[in-house]
Amino acid sequence: MLAGVTVTLPRWPIVGRRAELEVFERTLGSGELAGLVIHGRAGVGKTRLADECRQQAAAAGHPTERVAGSRTTALVPLGAVAALLADGPGPDGQAGTVALFEQTRRALHDRHDGRRLVMVADDVSLLDAASLALVGYLAAQGTIFLVATVRTGEPVPDLVTSLWRDGRLERVDLEDLSRIHLDTLLHLALGGPLEVGAGREFWEATRGNPLYVRELVLGGLESGALVERSGVWHLEDRLPSTTRLLDLVGQRIGQLSAEARSVVELLALCQPLDLAYLEATTPIAVLELLERAGLVTIAVDCQEVRLAHPLHAKVVRAAMPRSRARAILLAQADRLQVATPVPGPVALRIAIWRLDAGGRPDPAVLIRGAHLARYAHDFRVVRQLIEAVPGDQLDAAGALLLGEALYELGVFDAADRILARGQQLPGSEHVALRLAVTRAKNAQWGLCQPDVALAINAAALAVITSSPLVEELVADEASVLTFSGHPGRALAVLDRLADGDQRTRVVRAIAAAPALAMTGRTAEAVSVAEAGHADHVALGDELAIAHPAMHLVNQAFALTEAGRLAEAEQLARAGTEIVAADRVPIAQIFFAVNLGRVATLQGRVATARRYYAEAAGVAQASHFAGPRRVALSGLALAHAMLGDAGAAAQALDERATGPAFGFRGPEQQLADAWTAIASRRPAEAAQRLRDAAAQAASTGHRTAESWLLHDLMRTSGQDTCARLRDLAGACDSPLMSARARHGAAARARDARELAGAADDFEALGAMLLAAEAAAGAAEAFRRDGDQRAATAAARRSSALAAACEGAVTPGLFHAAVAVPLSAREREIVMLAAAGMASKDIAERLYLSVRTVNNHLQHAYTKLGVSGRAGLAQAVGSPP
Amino acid sequence: MTPEQITLVQSSFRRLGPQLPAMATRFYQELFARDPALRPLFTTPLAQQEVKFADKLTEIVRAMPRLDELLTHTRALGARHAGYGVRAAHYQTLGDALLAALAAVLGDRFDAPTREAWALAYNLVAETMLEGAAAARPTGS
Repeated sequence: MLAGVTVTLPRWPIVGRRAELEVFERTLGSGELAGLVIHGRAGVGKTRLADECRQQAAAAGHPTERVAGSRTTALVPLGAVAALLADGPGPDGQAGTVALFEQTRRALHDRHDGRRLVMVADDVSLLDAASLALVGYLAAQGTIFLVATVRTGEPVPDLVTSLWRDGRLERVDLEDLSRIHLDTLLHLALGGPLEVGAGREFWEATRGNPLYVRELVLGGLESGALVERSGVWHLEDRLPSTTRLLDLVGQRIGQLSAEARSVVELLALCQPLDLAYLEATTPIAVLELLERAGLVTIAVDCQEVRLAHPLHAKVVRAAMPRSRARAILLAQADRLQVATPVPGPVALRIAIWRLDAGGRPDPAVLIRGAHLARYAHDFRVVRQLIEAVPGDQLDAAGALLLGEALYELGVFDAADRILARGQQLPGSEHVALRLAVTRAKNAQWGLCQPDVALAINAAALAVITSSPLVEELVADEASVLTFSGHPGRALAVLDRLADGDQRTRVVRAIAAAPALAMTGRTAEAVSVAEAGHADHVALGDELAIAHPAMHLVNQAFALTEAGRLAEAEQLARAGTEIVAADRVPIAQIFFAVNLGRVATLQGRVATARRYYAEAAGVAQASHFAGPRRVALSGLALAHAMLGDAGAAAQALDERATGPAFGFRGPEQQLADAWTAIASRRPAEAAQRLRDAAAQAASTGHRTAESWLLHDLMRTSGQDTCARLRDLAGACDSPLMSARARHGAAARARDARELAGAADDFEALGAMLLAAEAAAGAAEAFRRDGDQRAATAAARRSSALAAACEGAVTPGLFHAAVAVPLSAREREIVMLAAAGMASKDIAERLYLSVRTVNNHLQHAYTKLGVSGRAGLAQAVGSPP
Repeated sequence: MTPEQITLVQSSFRRLGPQLPAMATRFYQELFARDPALRPLFTTPLAQQEVKFADKLTEIVRAMPRLDELLTHTRALGARHAGYGVRAAHYQTLGDALLAALAAVLGDRFDAPTREAWALAYNLVAETMLEGAAAARPTGS
């Protein structure tokens, strides 16, 4: 053992990394950047460089800290950063994320007199979500300067990407050492020159991978393969033949004495450990030997001992029998429990070890951990921790946490059961309220049973009597009504409600903004959603309220209804990024749906199809059957507008497999109507549009009624202009006004007004509607005998239609025909142009064959063609 | 480095003999041609600077076989250069200029093995100077 060691390595040298260290120095010195990320492959020296940064910072007077992700710490939220957390009472059910993080920030600030803490986060990808959130918060606030390492191929956490996007991170990419740098490294590590040929052998074995070099050199010193004679180093033996770094590390650890090995195993499971503890239990010579062999490092400043490289821990854990790991973890948990009876960060570590050992940690610690995981929206961990709490020790607050997690994870039946059970358990009125609200939300969105949701709400109103809890229940009743398709009733309920406290205002805004938008009070809807978001952000992320981003969903919807399509799109895109990071599928679905709606109105139908398909996919994966129905409706609509009747019908079939869902119910029927149009069943389409418009009228959903009636006019030529005008007058949406203008102009066949409607639509970015209005103008000009204006309008229509990604609608078809066919003639021509025989057309439309042929003859004359052969060409591609 | 390479560096350096000042002059010409922005970093008159450079290089080459002794020179030298504003990126240019100056003065005698030995020696010197520089410079705010 250690036969050949004649040189003690106080520190393994760092070579070829000076430029990177200068980047660190500059970045930290700038005072503006939040951190440095070190990327590179395993063994390239990321940990070493990060530790060198830490040393430099410490030498310059910065406080420093090191956290490392690992399989063990990932089990419990904030496990990796437990040492940083402010001591004190710890979070309870009422404290928000911001409160906990802010408390920690202040504690760090005070502890270090406001000096920036340089924090090394090694293998940052392995940190649990809550730790990442805290580190991100502290970095963004400038409390810490983050030095993070990311192994090539590992996912880069959102914390890193978002700081990076904001230009607040510097990045370095480490490569293996060059041949020259390897030579310098060996020279410095050994303390003298190496015999001829040995350098080449190291190069061929390692190709400049620094960890590999380190393991080979230290292994060679131990085994006696590397020896020094008269100031020159000789390689007496061939280097180990293994080409795998892990095998090499395994070999080195395999050669340790039993005593040394047990220290290494203990560290692999529980690091870092106090030097004092290890010194008390292990002969000092063993620790020295391990340090000299480069297997453990002892941080002088904090008296902490850890393994020199993450790879060492990995190798040791992999080789350790499960029973042995379990015994070590439980023994350590017991030791710490005795040493520190006060709950606090240490309790979390104990819980980590007990969980990892398959044991049962203290339920209070589990519940505390679940609260922490909730802050990071890590619902999987919330579920895991609460489900480990024995049934008889679960209280109402714990049931609430679990119920919410199950809802977020899409396990709605189980969520309802645990929430109902929670309602039976003793708990505060606050918790009772949140149980009721969460259970109603689960019934509404998860189980798609709005009546059940209203009943849960009503039952809660019978027992919860104090303000502002009552107000919140009333606001929630409105929310159920809004999201089950009754905006008018929702607003009536909200009228009963006083302004209330901040939480009530937040809940109220969630229900009010979409209801206002649907009833056509779009400007008010936008400002309510905006204020709701601001209130919600200030309030923090609380239990039993939707994610703050839902206000952004509402705002995007309200902007769309207001005809502010570009703004809606921009907001929904930004929101998508926010919720992707926080993993909030319901918001992800609705941002995609809103992007699909905007694209549909803009006439970008292929884009709409993509967004709706994405929304449907997320809804499917997260088990939200109701929102899936909304997404599939949009998908069918987009397929149909692209002329793909088969795909549209398929989307409708898929939709039929789920439960009914009333949210924007009339609008969902656009899908049925347009699928009928694409399938050449115009009469059915018209009927559906009429029925849906009537339904929208009866629920106060004015924006949908306007859309439906306008589509009825567009696709069948039916006169709906009086109602379109009334709706536009009752609402403040320029989109609805443009529809009304279009309707009136079409009815009057007023070419200039049709061109004006096209201008209005184009100004709003609604290119397909603009193209159709321009086509109508072309036809009207032609009829008026103004051939020049007709040609110009037709050209304009084609140009606008070119932006519509292949949309084929009757209104565009109409443009191609550009002659005054009657509605019946147009219907028959469409079918004939698609190749249908007169007999079949007659059957389909309940007409005689003779009548069909008569209509066709008239159409031939108007179109200037001699028969069916010329028909397809004259009308362009069929819709 | 191998002991043979260290010997090669020392023997080729001795072979410069009276041409050492010419090599020093050539070094600064090569350096400023490669990066004119380095010129203002030198505040002493160039002739004086060349003498200092030749002296330092002599010391370093002499210390090459004994790492402890070499480190004493290079770390102190690096710490001083950090104060002049010399950074890691400059060391590449300095090395290129040195090899070019040696090649120019030694001619055919600066063959491939000699060149490789000098490249390794320079990297060892540069890395340890940078180490000394980092230790001398307080970091950040």
